[in-house]
Amino acid sequence: MEDRLRRYEKIEFLGEGQFATVYKARDTHSDNIVAVKKIKIGSRADAKDGIHRTALREIKLLQELHHQNIIGLLDVFGHMSNVSLVFDFMDYDMEVVIKDTSIVLSPANIKSYMLQTLQGLEYLHNNWILHRDLKPNNLLVNSEGILKIGDFGLAKFFGSPNRVYTHQVVTRWYRAPELLYGARMYGTSVDIWALGCILAELLLRVPFLPGETDLDQLTRIFSVMGTPTEESWPGLTLLQDYIQFKPMPSQPLRHIFSAAGDDLLHLISSLLTVNPLGRCTCEQALQMEYFSNKPAPTPGPQLPLPSSINRKQEERPSLKRKLLDAVDGGSLAKKLIF
Amino acid sequence: MDMDIACPRCKTTKYRNPSLKLLVNVCGHGLCESCVDLLFLKGSGNCPECGVALRRSNFRVQLFEDSQVEKEVDIRRRVLRDFNKKEEDFATLRDYNDYLEEVETIIFNLVNNIDQLETNKKIEKFKKENRELILKNKARAGREEAELEALLEQEAAMEEARRAQLAMEEKEEKRRKIRNKEALIDELMFSTGNARNIVQTFAESRAQDAASQAAQASSVPAPAVRATQFSTGIQIGRGSGHVEFLPVPRTDDTPLFHYEPPQRIFDGPAPPTLLDVDQNGFLAHIRSASEEERAGGYNSNISCLRALEEAMSGLYYRAHRGEAVF
Repeated sequence: MEDRLRRYEKIEFLGEGQFATVYKARDTHSDNIVAVKKIKIGSRADAKDGIHRTALREIKLLQELHHQNIIGLLDVFGHMSNVSLVFDFMDYDMEVVIKDTSIVLSPANIKSYMLQTLQGLEYLHNNWILHRDLKPNNLLVNSEGILKIGDFGLAKFFGSPNRVYTHQVVTRWYRAPELLYGARMYGTSVDIWALGCILAELLLRVPFLPGETDLDQLTRIFSVMGTPTEESWPGLTLLQDYIQFKPMPSQPLRHIFSAAGDDLLHLISSLLTVNPLGRCTCEQALQMEYFSNKPAPTPGPQLPLPSSINRKQEERPSLKRKLLDAVDGGSLAKKLIF
Repeated sequence: MDMDIACPRCKTTKYRNPSLKLLVNVCGHGLCESCVDLLFLKGSGNCPECGVALRRSNFRVQLFEDSQVEKEVDIRRRVLRDFNKKEEDFATLRDYNDYLEEVETIIFNLVNNIDQLETNKKIEKFKKENRELILKNKARAGREEAELEALLEQEAAMEEARRAQLAMEEKEEKRRKIRNKEALIDELMFSTGNARNIVQTFAESRAQDAASQAAQASSVPAPAVRATQFSTGIQIGRGSGHVEFLPVPRTDDTPLFHYEPPQRIFDGPAPPTLLDVDQNGFLAHIRSASEEERAGGYNSNISCLRALEEAMSGLYYRAHRGEAVF
């Protein structure tokens, strides 16, 4: 145990989430750079299983998953009441790429990102796992341009005939309509929908359906894809939280994604089919013409890097920041030295 | 008079603060740098004189004393960024003149706050209608600028070369003169002939030299002046030789993607595929999904397939894995 603690040398603090703090560290055994995620103990209710539920899910699932496009769990160790998970170190995530306006994403780049995501997701679904929290933030990329799906805090086995699942999963903007309608039994289609939203976001460079409430989210979905009917989505009215929407016509995707070719529009429309049973699977998506057509997906090392990776964080805080601090009286009073 | 410049807000003058710099925003009212820093801490705020909402990033150094002029320059720049049609874009000269007239009207209206809403709407409409043309003209303007710059550089290089050559010729000339003088003196010192004769022959040869040199200079062909050249002989435009196109993405030869179903290791008999489950009666004896479940995206073939896969996987597994037993 003791040498496990000393095996990883902390390099720097990377970020803090709701459930964990993440550090960049060096594995002294292999000299690799890794990410150490130290799980917070959380509230008593969170920790009633002894450890936070999300951490438990990550450990349970990731220990058995090994795929190029799935984040690798390298090690787990505990100290006192802390549990730390050791992951592959990933340099940036898709959210950074999308928001970095200096990056121009070519069609080949987008194809490469989608291809890698779909391959990872296909592996997950083949192993009966739903990710349930796909969003650009959780698609991690390392400096070699390898994309890995990360954050398995909401992931769960699926395909059980009598287990009821919660519909309060997936960040709202990427949440599928059946989840918004309160479906308790669902399948891989929830991940596929999220993927469709991510693809749209890669093309538009802004969130595709940024709903402000669950209701607003449904409105936005239907204003683009058209309001579903009992014909286009059988059983729709039986869903728990079903609400009648006023009929809206679907918008041609061609007008929204004016730069996309026919093969790409076909992929988008099958990923974003409102009826979950009509939505394509990973396998079907990967066999679509879009992926085998030109341009070929960009090889990993040639994918664009965000400027924040190239630039070291040596920049001084801006004047504005300093002034703001001064206004708030945030900084300590200067000591006078005579 | 320069010392009279003062910030209207803090009343600091150029006299009291020699580094005072007045900045202006779209409304044309000036403000000194430190006032801008103070008032626009959060990036935006209102002009202290006219109350118009301003952004900090739009502040720039004041060029003209009259704020009206300053405002017009600013508005003109902004409007012309979008109204960048060229004469070639119009069928007749009259159309072009009408267009120019309209641009002037728009600028005038904006400067004098006449029909602002209407005018802004007009601009928006123009922008929407001519988006492609505007973009194209912008790209063209950028390209022309680059060309001009290259041209200037080339001209400077040629000028430099010519100056160097002139300097060399001058030096050569000087050296020759000295040599001639020395030869004359030598001749006068050591020759037995008449001094006057010697001087005369030298003068003659020198005159000959000069004449031949002049002829040589005039025989150097003057650079042929074509319409595509400046007087310095530098080519204008993309006339001959290289033709530039808009950048076209390089087509590379990375392999295209071909889908191959992933290898799955079951360590057991191959489970049926989803198609088998659907068609071969596997679903006959299990509870079929209710309509509500199907509406949520769940189907009974999913759980049936999973049960079958799990039942069969690992059946051939032995401790030293890799070899399956049949």
